[in-house]
Amino acid sequence: MTAKDWREQVDELLGRASRMRHGETKVMALEEASRLADAHGDLDLAFEVRDELIDAATFGGFPDKALVAFAWCRAQAKKNPERFESDLLLWKQKWVVGRLDDFPHISRKQILDALDDIEQTYARVDAGKRAIHKLRYQAARDLGDEAEAQRYWDLWINAPRDHLTDCRACDLDDEIDHHIDLCEYDKAVEKARPILEGRSSCAEIPHLTYGSVLYPLLKLGRLEEARDCHLRGYPMISRNRDFLATVGEHIEFLALTDNLSRGLTLFEKHLGWALDHASWRDRFTFHMAASFLLSRLVAQGHPSVSLRLPKALPLHQPEGSYPSRELHGWVETQAQEIAARFDTRNGTDRFQKLLERTRSLDRDVYPFPINAAPK
Amino acid sequence: MDHRFQINLRGVIDLLSHHLYSSPGVYVRELLQNATDAIRARQLLEPRHEGTVRVELIEKQDGGPPTLLFSDDGVGLTEEEIHRFLATIGESSKREALAERRNDFIGQFGIGLLSCFMVCDELLVVTRSVKDGNRTMEWRGRHDGTYSVRPSEHPLERPGTQVFLVARPDAAEFFTAERVCQLALHYGGLLPFPILLTAEGRTSRINTEGAPWRRKYESASDRRTALLAYGREVFSSDFIDCIPLKSSAGDVEGVAFVLPFSPHYNAKQKHRVYLKNMLLSESAENLLPDWAFFVKCVVNANELRPTASRESFYENETLAKAREALGQALRRYLMELAKDDPRALQRLISLHGLSVKALALDDDDFYRLVIGWLPFETSMGIMTLVDYRRQHSTVRYVSGLDDFRQVARVAAAQGLCVVNAAYTYDTDLLEKLPRVFPDAQVEPFSAAELPQSFDELSLDERETVFPLLKVAELALQPFRCDVAVKKFRPKEVPTLYSADTEGAFRRDVERAREESDDLYGSMMDSVLGNAPGSERPLLTFNFFNPVVRKLAGVTDRNLMKLSVEMLYVQALLLGHRPLSAKEMALLNQGLLGLIAARLDGGGEDSGQGGVH
Repeated sequence: MTAKDWREQVDELLGRASRMRHGETKVMALEEASRLADAHGDLDLAFEVRDELIDAATFGGFPDKALVAFAWCRAQAKKNPERFESDLLLWKQKWVVGRLDDFPHISRKQILDALDDIEQTYARVDAGKRAIHKLRYQAARDLGDEAEAQRYWDLWINAPRDHLTDCRACDLDDEIDHHIDLCEYDKAVEKARPILEGRSSCAEIPHLTYGSVLYPLLKLGRLEEARDCHLRGYPMISRNRDFLATVGEHIEFLALTDNLSRGLTLFEKHLGWALDHASWRDRFTFHMAASFLLSRLVAQGHPSVSLRLPKALPLHQPEGSYPSRELHGWVETQAQEIAARFDTRNGTDRFQKLLERTRSLDRDVYPFPINAAPK
Repeated sequence: MDHRFQINLRGVIDLLSHHLYSSPGVYVRELLQNATDAIRARQLLEPRHEGTVRVELIEKQDGGPPTLLFSDDGVGLTEEEIHRFLATIGESSKREALAERRNDFIGQFGIGLLSCFMVCDELLVVTRSVKDGNRTMEWRGRHDGTYSVRPSEHPLERPGTQVFLVARPDAAEFFTAERVCQLALHYGGLLPFPILLTAEGRTSRINTEGAPWRRKYESASDRRTALLAYGREVFSSDFIDCIPLKSSAGDVEGVAFVLPFSPHYNAKQKHRVYLKNMLLSESAENLLPDWAFFVKCVVNANELRPTASRESFYENETLAKAREALGQALRRYLMELAKDDPRALQRLISLHGLSVKALALDDDDFYRLVIGWLPFETSMGIMTLVDYRRQHSTVRYVSGLDDFRQVARVAAAQGLCVVNAAYTYDTDLLEKLPRVFPDAQVEPFSAAELPQSFDELSLDERETVFPLLKVAELALQPFRCDVAVKKFRPKEVPTLYSADTEGAFRRDVERAREESDDLYGSMMDSVLGNAPGSERPLLTFNFFNPVVRKLAGVTDRNLMKLSVEMLYVQALLLGHRPLSAKEMALLNQGLLGLIAARLDGGGEDSGQGGVH
């Protein structure tokens, strides 16, 4: 293959990737392009391609690939700061560091070290602390350090904005989580208003927000709004595996409102993502919601259920009939095993508590039929 | 009697112009909206009332800014209603409240009038209500917030409303006959009653007779020609076809135009939508199902709710039903193409294959019809699944580009046909095949499985290559690579390196680790430690290849080891796999070693030295 050939091929792959929506095929095209650039020792091109790969992997549901591509770029930028412009990389470092705790095999120490590292990196370019406080708040929250989380929440919310802080929409969306943690559902929904009304948006906002507000709206008895959020939000996320956890939120909502058949349709469609997703955090959220959904099915006396589930599922039945109890057991075990891995890594009981929350969701059930559109 | 607004009128006007209105030109839309509402209200009382909107530009003798007279023969306002709309404006000091008020006739009337203050300082409204005998009222309002309401000294002969606007000098551009005509046509082009414009002593009708899809045509082809011409006028694009749209949910009607080019994936199609025949938005996005990104539409909806920003429709169940019905209309079109005009379908697939694939994924009947026409890339060229299944009982596919590249090099020579399903939707489409056609067999294929399809050696041949196998196994141990010898074509290929998708990612992680500092290096180790049970890659020597046979006979173990290492590196390079630092060192040392061996005329002392 001549030099021209492979460059043309990289160009074609980049062109193809730029026309694709976020997802596996896009990530694959960029990985292929980065390997070609590597194989021919073109460092600049390899950097450029990986720079895009970080975005595609981050927003296409492959946080492990984003981490690896970022590590490579960061190393090049460190060795050769003049050659590899690193401003964009600073921004992407937030995405990568923010997802580290999604991997139970990344240790607590590695997470904290990476936070120190990004703090120093940001300090060197004279950025304010707001972005770092937010990262530390979110890490502490996910690691189950409640006191630390509260401390960094206060620091984050009060810190001034600067060029490396997240946009208003993303900040708002993340603030909502905090209010939900504290059961401040009114506040959560109030904060979500500019997003839900379309005045504030970003790459993944309102997609994420529609999922986050489902439970608060249900708790506030605002079911029609919740239903509209489900109907509006789900189509936005149904084709991108980066939203696996949000799919979980929709499944939980459908189970809570007794729309079990709709819930099963989502479960059937997205279980495949959960089986090999790089984010164990997102797998957990999905399995936990699915376990609640299937527990409702069992409780309502359906001994078996017909589903088209992926072949990769250990319980896979070619004819598609599954004993509800067994399926529920399998999904619940997944959630428990992941929870145990996270709690062990974190040295806290956050995930155990999340499981307990799900087990007590029965008392929030409020049947509210959502009519399907006519065929 | 003079009155004063209870609120800061400037504030409301600012609010309107900054938040609700994109340009001062929308005053024409608001006046048309008011006239339309008034005519519709009158039609409820007098069903045979047709309704007319008249717009007249009155030039000043002294050359000063002109006056615009906007009149309708609608229901008119009573004195009580005038006071009510004024009160409504007073309550409308919040954006949300404003949006809410627009949903009722009186509220909309007031807010619509306010928009006129973007282009004039004083407004005169003369109105006679059908409900109020023959009393004519007039309201005079100024932008500073003062207004008066009194019985008019010039009573109207018939019920209706007249609005007089004196152009503000800095807004004169919005008061030319051309501009007014263009704005009225833009916002009210679909209105079913005449809009007449009078300027310079001439009166003409601005709009034609309502929406083009509601008109009668001589023949189907006339209709198609007229609609395509309309599409060109609206979107400045030469569409390849047009599809009628209709939904009883939301009372939606219109036409979809098939794009003449493949759309960018992330470019959402922006549709032009009318609400009750008044333009709502030129950039509505949520009207069609996800998969239908091959068309742009113009539709009118009578019963969908607009969002507060009035840029699209509010997402509720009616919209969901309407979207489903419009999707059905598009689906019907595609189904008919597949049945009646497969050539046209093929042309459509070449432009809009992704849309067609997305629908086929969601819809079994459509899948059944269309799957035979969809082209797939295979190791033996582009073909449809029908062609494929004619020759091979089982459809084999790879989902990764990396896999396909590995397979493609030998598959064709081996007579193996494998589909490259690394394109969007292809894997899902293939996996759906046996669900729709129960007799179909579909299997995922991995490049790592490729050597299994190669011929085994005979017992004697095994003996011959055994020393090579032993040496190679040892030499490639540090690279976590297994070794085999098989027979495969083409015989020019000495070795084949095969790995599964995880294997390729593993190599990416290893390269990132080599480059990284301790912190990120340790994370790469963690990622490697957790990588899904990746099988070791395999280097398969080709017994058909003369060099490999010769190598198997070499007695010098060092030379054999060196050659194996070189073949390993060559296999990686031929597969376009980036080398790790260790492999790069191998290449450097190996090349020098081979040169040295050659120069020495023997194999002594080979493998020494090298560059890094």
